[in-house]
This record gives sequence, C-alpha cells and structure tokens, in this order.
Amino acid sequence: MSDATLSALKMSVFVASIATVVVWIPGTLIAYVLARREFFGKRVVSTLLLLPMVLPPTAVGYLLLRMLATDGPLGPRTLGFDPGILLTWKAAVLASAVMATPLVVRTARVTFEGIDPRLESMARTLGHGRLRTFVGTTLPLASRGLLAAAILGFTRAIGEFGATVTIAGNIPGRTQTLASAIYSAQETGDQREAYFLLCVALVVGFVAIFASEYLARNPERTRTR
Amino acid sequence: MTTHSAAASEATEPTTPLAIAIRLPLDRFTLDVDFTTSHRVTGLFGPSGSGKTSVLESIAGLRRATTGRIALGDETWLADAPRRFVRPEHRHIGYVPQDGLLFPHLDVRANLLAGARRARRDGHPLDTTFASVVELLELGPLLARAVTTLSGGERQRVALGRALCSGPRLLLLDEPLAALDIPLRRRVLPFLRRVRDEFRIPMLLVSHDPVEVQALCDDLIVLRQGTIVARGEPSEVLTDPDVFPLAERGGYENVVPCTLVRTDSETSVVRVGTGDDSLSVITPRAAGPEGSNKLLGIPAREVILATTEPEGLSAQNILPSRVVSIRTVGSLRLVRAHLADGVPPLAVEVTEHARDTLHLEPGCVVYLILKTAGCVLYDPEARPDDD
Repeated sequence: MSDATLSALKMSVFVASIATVVVWIPGTLIAYVLARREFFGKRVVSTLLLLPMVLPPTAVGYLLLRMLATDGPLGPRTLGFDPGILLTWKAAVLASAVMATPLVVRTARVTFEGIDPRLESMARTLGHGRLRTFVGTTLPLASRGLLAAAILGFTRAIGEFGATVTIAGNIPGRTQTLASAIYSAQETGDQREAYFLLCVALVVGFVAIFASEYLARNPERTRTR
Repeated sequence: MTTHSAAASEATEPTTPLAIAIRLPLDRFTLDVDFTTSHRVTGLFGPSGSGKTSVLESIAGLRRATTGRIALGDETWLADAPRRFVRPEHRHIGYVPQDGLLFPHLDVRANLLAGARRARRDGHPLDTTFASVVELLELGPLLARAVTTLSGGERQRVALGRALCSGPRLLLLDEPLAALDIPLRRRVLPFLRRVRDEFRIPMLLVSHDPVEVQALCDDLIVLRQGTIVARGEPSEVLTDPDVFPLAERGGYENVVPCTLVRTDSETSVVRVGTGDDSLSVITPRAAGPEGSNKLLGIPAREVILATTEPEGLSAQNILPSRVVSIRTVGSLRLVRAHLADGVPPLAVEVTEHARDTLHLEPGCVVYLILKTAGCVLYDPEARPDDD
C-alpha cells in the first residue's frame, strides 16, 4: 500500500468518524422532536433535513462553497474572522456531515416512532421527570436503532465524494479521502491502486450495512397494542 | 404481613378522599365527570369508548387538555383559575394498564424498582414494601426473568407490583385483567384482593367484568358518552336496566360471599349469609379448608324460578326466597330475590311471558332452582399454584 493510499484511508475514517459524531448527537435530538412533537413548520423542517438525500452532492457542495466563500453568509467577511474551513479536512467533515444528515435523522426518527409513547408515560407516572424518562427509558429502548443510524451515517460519510471534492478539494495527504483517491487513481490510469481502493471501500461498506441490517431487526422492539 | 382476615374486617374503612370534577374534549363527545369517593375500591364501568381510560389518564396527569379540579385529600393536582397542573411524576400515582406496559429492556426486578427513587425520596419504606409486594404477588421466582418471557398473568402481577413499589397514594387500574382469559383472570383476581386488603391505598378500577367488579369494588360508577349515568353499590348498579346489558361475554353473574362448610368427593357445600336465614348451596368441588371464605358466582340466566316447591328434580339446590323487585331490561325481566340477610339480592333473568304466567310480583315467595354445575366458586385468596 502506498503512503498516499494509506493516508487517504486514514483521512476517510477520520473525517467520517467526526462527521458521524457531529451529525448523530443533534440528529438524534431532532429526530426525537420530529417523532414526538407537533409544531408549526414540522413538515418543512423534515423536508429540508432530507433534501441532501435527493440533491446532487455537487449541488450541496456548491451551496456550501457559496456560503463559506469570502463574501458568503458564513464567510470571513460576514463573520469578521476566517473560520478556515475551505480546502481543509474540516470542509470534508462538513460536507460528509451534511450528506449523512438525512440517513441519520430518518433512521433515528423511525426508531423513536416505533417506541410506544405509553412506555414513556408509564415512566412519568413512576416519578421520572422528562429528562430522566428520555435518558432512562427512551434511549435504552432506541439504542439499537440509534446505533444503526450512526453506522448508516458513517457509511454515507465515508462514501462521500461530490460535496467533499467541491469544498475540500482532492489534495493527497491533506484532504484526499478514499472516494477521491479512487477517482484520482482512475483518472491517472493506476488500475492496481484503483482496484485495491475499491476492495477497501467494498469491505467497509459491506460490514457497515450488514451491521445496521442486523441491528434493525430488534428482538426487543417494544410491543404496541 | 398482617393476617388477611384482620384486614378484611376493615373492608369498608374509608380512605383518602378523591375529588374529581373534570372536562376534556374527546373526538366524539366531551368528557364531563364529577364525583368524590372515599371508598377503598371505586369501580368505573361502561361500554368501550365511554371515556373511562381518559378519566384515569387525566387523573394521572397524562392529558394536558383536561380542565377542572382533581384532588386527593389535601393535595390538588389540577385546578383552574389559577391554573395548577401537577406533572405526572409528582402525582404519586400507581398506574396499571390493560397490557401491563412493562419496560422490555429491564428484567422483572428492575421493573419493580422503576419507581424506587421517588418512593425513597418520599421516605417510603421501600425495602418493606418490596418484600411484601414480592411475597404478596408471589414474584420471588420471577425476579431475574426478562419480562418478554413472562405469561400474561405474570406480566399483570409485575405491573401491579411495580405500581405498588413506587409508593403511590392512589392506584389506577385500567382493566388490569382484561387481556387475560377468564380462568386466568379468576386466578389473578385474589392478588388484587390481597392488594386491596394489605395496602391502604385508594383504588380506581376500570372493568367490564361483573365478577371482578363485585369481588373488588365497594362503589361503582357507570360512564356513558363521557358522563356518569349511574352510581352505587355494585350489585345494585349492575342490575340497573340501563347497565345490565353492558356486562361482557357470558352476561351478568351474581357474586355472593359465602363460607366453605365441607367438601365431598365431587361437590362442596357452602353457606350463604350469617344470620338465621342463612342457607346451604351445593357447588362443584372446591379446594380449601372448612370455614374458608369463598365467592359464589351464579349467572343470572342459570337460575330457574318456581312458585311452588318442586319435587323430583335433578337440580341439587332449591332455595326458598322472596321477590324484592322486578326490573325490565329490554325484552327480559330481571327478578331480584332476597337470598339471606347481609347478602345482596340475587338477580334472575326470566322472560316477560314467564313473569306474566307465574304472576311474579314483589313480595311473592319463589323457589330458586340451581344446578350444581351452574354455580362457580371463586377463591378470594390466591392459591400457591397460580399460573
């Protein structure tokens, strides 16, 4: 394995891990609110959160690029300082996180919707406050589904290419990931390298999907009447 | 553990009064219920969709849209002007729904202790309660089991135990036995009676089952379309012409307290009533020592009426009696006959034609004919071989 390949693999795992954490924590909370509460504009919010799933990744990348550009709404001129995101690993994290959001939120929301809300009411009557009910009853019941959401998010993040390449570039050793390395290897005609990267991607993807499928078949799924 | 008989003698001792005056708009009608009770067990009876569960959920604090007033003793849980809404976790309620709603991620012990933190914070003697709950509901062998492996009767006992271990001041039982089949229900019923007799906690019981209601309740409230349509002593209310047809499945069954006199190879003899006019009834064989308390179930449609004392009958029980009242229920006539002092009148279904032919009137002397196999004996106390 060449140094470039190794660094691309490391970069991919690093970026996807951080992106997963960044999306999973708020994504779980948002999914819970979407599953349990009614509020004005709920459909609009849930549609916006799912949008990255259907947009071309390059479109998402371009949108992020415009926002982070020097005079964009999140750019250095507006903020008054340079967050230094574009063309760094942070940009790769941001792009992967945005692209992973729909899968994480949707999987978590379906999980929460599958939990009988009467179990939460029961916890309340037993003296548990709202926070303790969420932590002590809802989260344990949702644990498998939430783990599946994290794995799916990680998978989506590790496979991200279009949005990442648009805002983070494809700089070997700095922002090059597995996905962009395959693209470079194919472009430069390095077939051995491309095949090897392909196999790595296949293994990572297979393990992740297999695990999330296993978790989705929850034997302890709460019974609803 | 105190003896059951000592507790049973305090059966009618009043408990903390529960005062309810609530309104809650529901899909098809508005729930508008106003009652006060200080009975140990108050029953809520009524057709499905009459608002019984909504009453319990309002009391538990699970319906934020409920307005009005809810108070247990001097604690006010809900009030208007100024608005007061005590959250469910601060209401100290033990709630037992029809399907138990055990936490599937916890084992039986952890389920029982789910409300332990509140009980301890309130200075409730949790260790004693836990020990007596486990003993009373016979949960010892189940403690380490996963709740998904429990049978229906076991689940309901755990749900009841969990409610009791949270140190409740009021128990809300929402058809706690409805998910069980009839024989199993009859076996779990004694556990509910034990809870009634051992824990001084007022109980509100939703039920469709006349046997359950008569075996447990001191007071019965009937709901229809969100309002109270009848209230009173259970056997009196259940034979009310408007309420009678609501009895589920096999129809109305009289439930009469009695004492086991002796047990032969195939039958038992029980004594109904304690006064001079007490009488013996031959029933199917029942287990238990002489003198033990039983409940005698007599379905209203299993009894035959005669105006003269019949002879040469295979039926073993021919009980002399007097007609107290006759009620019209649709095309049926419900004859209520005095059986013995201290026992509610026995309801018997007859047709309008039979009533006219026999010239039945209040005050008439009648003979109640009862086949041995037509009677059922229930155990008011649990036997150890329960499911």
